[in-house]
Amino acid sequence: MTTWRKNTFPPGSAAAQGLASCHACGLLARMPEQTHDSHDTVCPRCDAPLHLRKPNSIARTWALVITACILYVPANVLPVMQTTTLGATQNDTILSGAAYLWNTGSWDLAIIVFIASIVVPMAKLIALITLLLSVQRRSQHQIQQRTRLYRLVEIVGKWSMLDIYVAALLATLVHFGSLLTIRTGPGAIAFGAVVVVTMFAAKSFDPRLMWDAIETQNHDRAEHPRS
Amino acid sequence: MTEPNTPDPDSTLPTATTRRRGRWSLSIVWLIPLIAIVVGGWLAVRNIMNQGPTVTIQFRTAEGLQADETRIKFRDVDVGVIKSIRLAENGPGVTVTAELNKQVEPMLVDDTKFWVVKPRIAGSGVSGLSTLLSGAYVGMEAGKSQQSRSDFTGLEVPPVLTEGLPGRTFVLKAEDLGSIDYGSPVYYRRIAVGEVVAYRLDPDGSGVSIEVFVRAPYDKYVTESARFWEASGIDFSMDATGVKVNTQSLASVVLGGIAFAPLEGEAVGKEAQSMASFRLYGDRNSAFKRYDNRVEYFELLFRESVHGLTVGAPVEFRGIPIGEVTDIGLDYDREARRLNIPVTVRLYPERLTSRLRSTVGNSTAERQHEFVRMIEAGLRGQLRMGSLITGQLYVALDFFPNAPRTKIDPTQTVVQIPTVQGDLQELQTSLSSIARKLDQIPFQDIVNDLRRAINSLDGTLKSADSTLRSVNSDVLPAIKGAVEDARKTLDHANVLLSQDAPTQTELRDTLREVSRSAASLRTLTDYLDRHPEALIRGRQPEDKP
Amino acid sequence: MTQPTLVACHDCDLLQRRPVLEAGQQARCVRCGARLGRHPYSPVDHTLAYVLGALTTFIIGNCYPVVSLESSGIMTHATLLGAVRALHADNMDAVGALVLFTGFIAPLTILLSLTYLLLPLELGRLAPGFAHLFRLFISVSPWAMVEVMMLGVVVSFVKLAHMATAISGIGLWSFGITMLLMAAMSASMDQADIWRRFEALRHGRLREARA
Repeated sequence: MTTWRKNTFPPGSAAAQGLASCHACGLLARMPEQTHDSHDTVCPRCDAPLHLRKPNSIARTWALVITACILYVPANVLPVMQTTTLGATQNDTILSGAAYLWNTGSWDLAIIVFIASIVVPMAKLIALITLLLSVQRRSQHQIQQRTRLYRLVEIVGKWSMLDIYVAALLATLVHFGSLLTIRTGPGAIAFGAVVVVTMFAAKSFDPRLMWDAIETQNHDRAEHPRS
Repeated sequence: MTEPNTPDPDSTLPTATTRRRGRWSLSIVWLIPLIAIVVGGWLAVRNIMNQGPTVTIQFRTAEGLQADETRIKFRDVDVGVIKSIRLAENGPGVTVTAELNKQVEPMLVDDTKFWVVKPRIAGSGVSGLSTLLSGAYVGMEAGKSQQSRSDFTGLEVPPVLTEGLPGRTFVLKAEDLGSIDYGSPVYYRRIAVGEVVAYRLDPDGSGVSIEVFVRAPYDKYVTESARFWEASGIDFSMDATGVKVNTQSLASVVLGGIAFAPLEGEAVGKEAQSMASFRLYGDRNSAFKRYDNRVEYFELLFRESVHGLTVGAPVEFRGIPIGEVTDIGLDYDREARRLNIPVTVRLYPERLTSRLRSTVGNSTAERQHEFVRMIEAGLRGQLRMGSLITGQLYVALDFFPNAPRTKIDPTQTVVQIPTVQGDLQELQTSLSSIARKLDQIPFQDIVNDLRRAINSLDGTLKSADSTLRSVNSDVLPAIKGAVEDARKTLDHANVLLSQDAPTQTELRDTLREVSRSAASLRTLTDYLDRHPEALIRGRQPEDKP
Repeated sequence: MTQPTLVACHDCDLLQRRPVLEAGQQARCVRCGARLGRHPYSPVDHTLAYVLGALTTFIIGNCYPVVSLESSGIMTHATLLGAVRALHADNMDAVGALVLFTGFIAPLTILLSLTYLLLPLELGRLAPGFAHLFRLFISVSPWAMVEVMMLGVVVSFVKLAHMATAISGIGLWSFGITMLLMAAMSASMDQADIWRRFEALRHGRLREARA
């Protein structure tokens, strides 16, 4: 368990004052001076675990992001849907599914599927990696934009599930015997895993760490002004 | 700060009234869940009220059936779905539980039938092809009983639906089933007017009984004397009367069928009763042969070659068919020291008498007497060539006034009809006798006489002149006439064999039809090969060839 | 509405003062009776209405097929639970579990827990286990994906319409309404306020217990 010391936090932040905000109910509570390893600190109002910052945020987020990156490959390479017509089986990956929509004239849906299932997961992973790196390098550039980026990642996360629902629905409905049958493929499992893991990754990242970096530096400069 | 324009707010402005809503008064937002609950409740109630009956059906196999997917259809209308399939508890088989619509509840009676509709190749063709695509379904036909029932035993074979259709059922008796099957069509004047609904082996195993259903209003053409025959395939016959090709329809060529027609030449007979019994003949010709009660057997002794005569060759009287040859034998007459060829023929004297419209008594003796009279009047049998093409002979009965008189022995069991030689035969014998005579001519003496005659040539020249003149005017036209006749006969033969002969045309037309159908079938299969999804999506515009 | 404010009636333009409203009060124009403002009866009044509506439509949506497909005489239906079952039958249990959780279990948990918590709150009481259940609601919230499912259904609908006759079912419309109601529910819910109420009521109870 990490022990936070007051002066590792920039002034102006609640943590510098020893105050922690409950992630569940938002109550501002004072963290005890000493924490015992056998006890967890909890929010006085709602009993949720209370921390100054999300524990092990960087490490956990990295682990999840790397897992998602690894799973991203089979998710796009393995077929998501298998269409069987009169004995001929055609495998469709997410990409080929979007291409099919485009080729058959529903370019609007093709764009939606492309964005939701291909662009979004990749963008999320890239965004999270960017955020992680920026925290670890204690970068001060464009923190506000990065915070917006984080909010975007959080909101947009669940929309990648679109392809899973489409595949599930098609596989349920198209059961016309030997004439036409659609089944979900192993790519769907991988893709679902990617979505879930990135959602967890976004949840475990603590954006406050970004703000910690910049204010500490200013604080350092204030304390040790360069001549 | 108060502004000069506005009055003092504190003193002059009224205060809006406040009203307290009652403790239980709700904002309008609550209409939403209220409506939602009302709609949900109404849907639930409607569902419960529309809950239809549940039935169980026993089948031998669950092949093609799937729980929650296989539908139950009544006259092609979806009326239910199979809910579960389990192994039957007692005995082999499966028990299928199905939920049906409420509207069919009154139809679930004792004799309601259920069966599985799968692709089937049967007598009426390939049925249930749509199930290849859609999966099997369970067909249902309502019974007429008043007793309601909820567990049924499914049929293994789809029944031919005649329930509710006006028409009549008849029973046909045949030696064997031939190419008949459930649903084989029944034709009248080449129109499909009914079908085979059932068949079974007779209890004594000597034949089969076939039930056919003829739809109204065609059932009234089934008179008591109508004839039914198997109209399957192509009837191709080549016999003494020529070559004949006969078929009901291209469909019956493939699928088989039964045709019927009333007897011609009869007044419109009484309509046959439902379930009346008929005999099923093998083909049209045998159906209309007058299998009357009276069949007489006669024997004809021929002493010439019977090459070209076969069993079954027709016996004609002046061109009217009255029977056929049943047996050709060989007999050595020891006394007369010669070979005879006894030909047994079967005659239907009724044909003869009905045409002659003479009333003949029914007793055997009277009939015999009649025949003897005719023989005495010159009735003889003769072999004649039936067809130049086939070279087949047939037996002709006719009156030969110059025939030598013969004695009839009426005590013989099989009455013999005396014969005369065939024309050809006659020609042959007379030619050989001429040759013999020529042999006997003393030419030497003739030469001597000729020398003597030259002397009197002058005298005879004049008479020779007049002879030649008569030859010109009498004999030559006769010869010309004979040549003309010969040419006419050859022309006839030509016409029969020519390109436009109706026989050939018909054959060619049929073959052309068949090849055309095959070609279009090939195009279709080619197309399907390339675009299998066309079965669902249909032909895409860009794909149209 | 902590201070009395100046308002002009939107119907008759009378200048008047709108007083501070208490719970359950409405302000009406002195002259023409138009409503000038109101205070909801309780902080969770609207939210609870949306929750109950969404719960009903959610249940309806699960009972009826969302989309039905008809081709060459065969008709197939898809309900949400039917889709999960089909995925299970295809040995795609992982995907089936994901769809089940995000499409059925999470929204149902949200709606049921909110009903359980907010109904007593509407009446001024505190349900037992409030804190735990409210925390459960907060943590499960991001996993309810009814709106993603709706978009998925629309995309599937268009894809299917190319191959056969696709028919929208009652389930589709019900889920659509559920999605809207749940959005309204989120918009009208003030979590901080609810926690404050919780705390107040809890202290009130403790005070009663001590007294």
